[in-house]
Amino acid sequence: MAAPVPSSDGIGIANLPNQKHKIVAKRGAHFTVMVVGESGLGKTTLINTLFATELCSPKAYHRRHLKQLDKMTEVEIIKAELEEKQFNVKLTVIDTPGFGDYVNNRDSWVPIIDFVDDQHEIYMRQEQQPQREDKSDLRVHACLFFIRPTGHTLKPLDIEVMKRLGTRVNLIPVVAKADTLTQNDLMVFKERIRDVIRLQGIRIYQPPVEADDPAGAEHARILTEAMPFSIIGSTEDVKTADGRVVKGREYLWGVAEVENENHCDFKKLRSLLIRTHMLDLISTTEELHYENYRQQQMETRKFGEPKVKKLDNPKFKEEEEALRKRFTEQVKAEEARFRQWEQHLIAERDRLNKDLETAHSAIKGLEAELDNLQVGYGRGSARR
Amino acid sequence: MSYAARRRGNKLKKGVQFTVMVVGASGTGRTTFVNTLCESEVLTHKISDNADTAHVEEGIRIKPVTVELEEDGVRIALTIVDTPGFGDNIDNEFAFQEIVGYLERQYDDILAEESRIKRNRRFRDNRVHALLYFIAPTGHALREMDIELMRRLSPRVNVIPVIGKADSFTPSELKGFKKRVMEDIQHYSIPIYNFPYDIEEDDPDTVEDNSELRALLPFAIIGSEDEVELDGQLVRARIYPWGVVEVDNPKHSDFTKLRSALLNTHLTELKSLTDDVLYETYRTEKLSRNVNADTQDSSILPEELATQSVRLKEEQLRKEEEKLREIELKVQREINEKRQELLAKEESLRNLESRLAAQGSQADF
Repeated sequence: MAAPVPSSDGIGIANLPNQKHKIVAKRGAHFTVMVVGESGLGKTTLINTLFATELCSPKAYHRRHLKQLDKMTEVEIIKAELEEKQFNVKLTVIDTPGFGDYVNNRDSWVPIIDFVDDQHEIYMRQEQQPQREDKSDLRVHACLFFIRPTGHTLKPLDIEVMKRLGTRVNLIPVVAKADTLTQNDLMVFKERIRDVIRLQGIRIYQPPVEADDPAGAEHARILTEAMPFSIIGSTEDVKTADGRVVKGREYLWGVAEVENENHCDFKKLRSLLIRTHMLDLISTTEELHYENYRQQQMETRKFGEPKVKKLDNPKFKEEEEALRKRFTEQVKAEEARFRQWEQHLIAERDRLNKDLETAHSAIKGLEAELDNLQVGYGRGSARR
Repeated sequence: MSYAARRRGNKLKKGVQFTVMVVGASGTGRTTFVNTLCESEVLTHKISDNADTAHVEEGIRIKPVTVELEEDGVRIALTIVDTPGFGDNIDNEFAFQEIVGYLERQYDDILAEESRIKRNRRFRDNRVHALLYFIAPTGHALREMDIELMRRLSPRVNVIPVIGKADSFTPSELKGFKKRVMEDIQHYSIPIYNFPYDIEEDDPDTVEDNSELRALLPFAIIGSEDEVELDGQLVRARIYPWGVVEVDNPKHSDFTKLRSALLNTHLTELKSLTDDVLYETYRTEKLSRNVNADTQDSSILPEELATQSVRLKEEQLRKEEEKLREIELKVQREINEKRQELLAKEESLRNLESRLAAQGSQADF
């Protein structure tokens, strides 16, 4: 028996990553990003800037009056296919117009949370099917939460939503329209937000730190320290004071550049989302969040059973109340009618009773006369 | 001494009283604007140090503060009513009622004072003469919150819409935003104070001034309490890595125009509109409401609409229906019985009569 000869080339296991690379390169990837935040925070612009194409079209202002007072959060799905150096990605962007724009924003997060859960649910059910080659997977890999640059701190609405999102999806908070804050104000604002996130127990996405990769670990540390990322978005090319042409916003007093790290954290966000951590985002969604969901559901449901749907939508409560009010008013009207009817009947009865009384007394009178006559007659006949 | 000088002298002694309310969600630049307007720290900035109570929803508070200013030789006793906490809650319905309640309470005070037999000479008039509403700089159009607020408050106070933190817009974005805001205001027929003028009646200067101010609506405001040295001069400005924004530069912000309109040119008009139109309307409504108040039914509380009571009412209805039907039947029966009795008695009467008649005729024999 010949002993195995350790050749200097090895047996070729080290070639596995290259094989995987080819397979992945051919298959392509699919990536789903959700953007959540009040209107006017630059969500659409940021998406267009991140992926360098006009994925979301600008708002159709001439039709806004139809939906301005709608009081509902909507969920919009935009799909696109991107290609770079022959590698293609099926990108899905989920937008949430209407969130936080109304007087009463209670439960405005319900459509968003339900959407995220539903995607896990749909994937789970597809996995349980006998035929499961063609799965459509819209599970959200990353959720960008846009914080209004007030300069103070997180609002109660922000905290409520972020708490709920953080346990279901990779949550990445960003400070929107960061060119409204001066450098000092921005630093203080970020610090306050980090404090609130820590103290309120909100889970945000943290890029993993690998001990055996010092460069990667350093990069991850820089990214984590910069969260929440301050963002300036723009798809327009403008000329700076020193003649460069960059993507930025041109004010009367200067040009704020998107890709300038002194002006905003856009590059860091792009790196986190696409360049360095896209795969990690996808795998944490599949391995962590999906598994969490699955575990929760399986503990309470049997295999193959459909999900129990909550049927009370809080927005419809108002309509319910209105209907109930109308019903009660109608009931009141009916009662009033009955009461009148009763009165009427009683009056009739009294009248008839009175007639009977008079008839009675007339009869009595006649009877008395009769008796008298009879008595008189009887006497008369008795006399004979 | 000329009449005008005498009048001015009078004002110099007492100072003109003027009350402005500022409303807007936190972070729209309200506090900074007031401090910039009064050139001193009149309002303190929000203290947000407590991170573990950040999720607690505070209600709205209404805080009046008085400052003495001098504008163009005229002393103004300016009262600023701040409304911190507006729009910060998840459900902001209550905040509206608070503000309207405050405005109406001031009117009630004046109404009560007017009706007194002996009026107090030193009575303080706390009516709000102008309300600056800070629209958040979204860049799109008005939100439901903005529309509702302006709609509900316009009948009680002169509402002037203002865009806070306007340095988040490029010039073209600002123009588009202003246009859409005014379009929305027109679409929903919100009666804001829009520097009214009459082309036929007023003199051309007034017409020009007012139409210029109207075209600037909503005013784009940038405020700053920090001073920066620019070209050897100390100016109020905000410093960014890409440039410096000057507060008093009319190309950068409409702050100067708003200040002069509020404290100088249109102060009297705002006051007289409040006194002569808004207060009178409120007075008429309130007094006529008192006359008709007694016959009004109190509205049904939502608690009474619980399913329980609805079902109870249904039961009651059914029982009453049955009762009524029984009563009807009983009455019918009684009527029939009595009729029968009547008929029977009639019969017997007739028999008796006929017998009597027969016997009577017999008796005659």
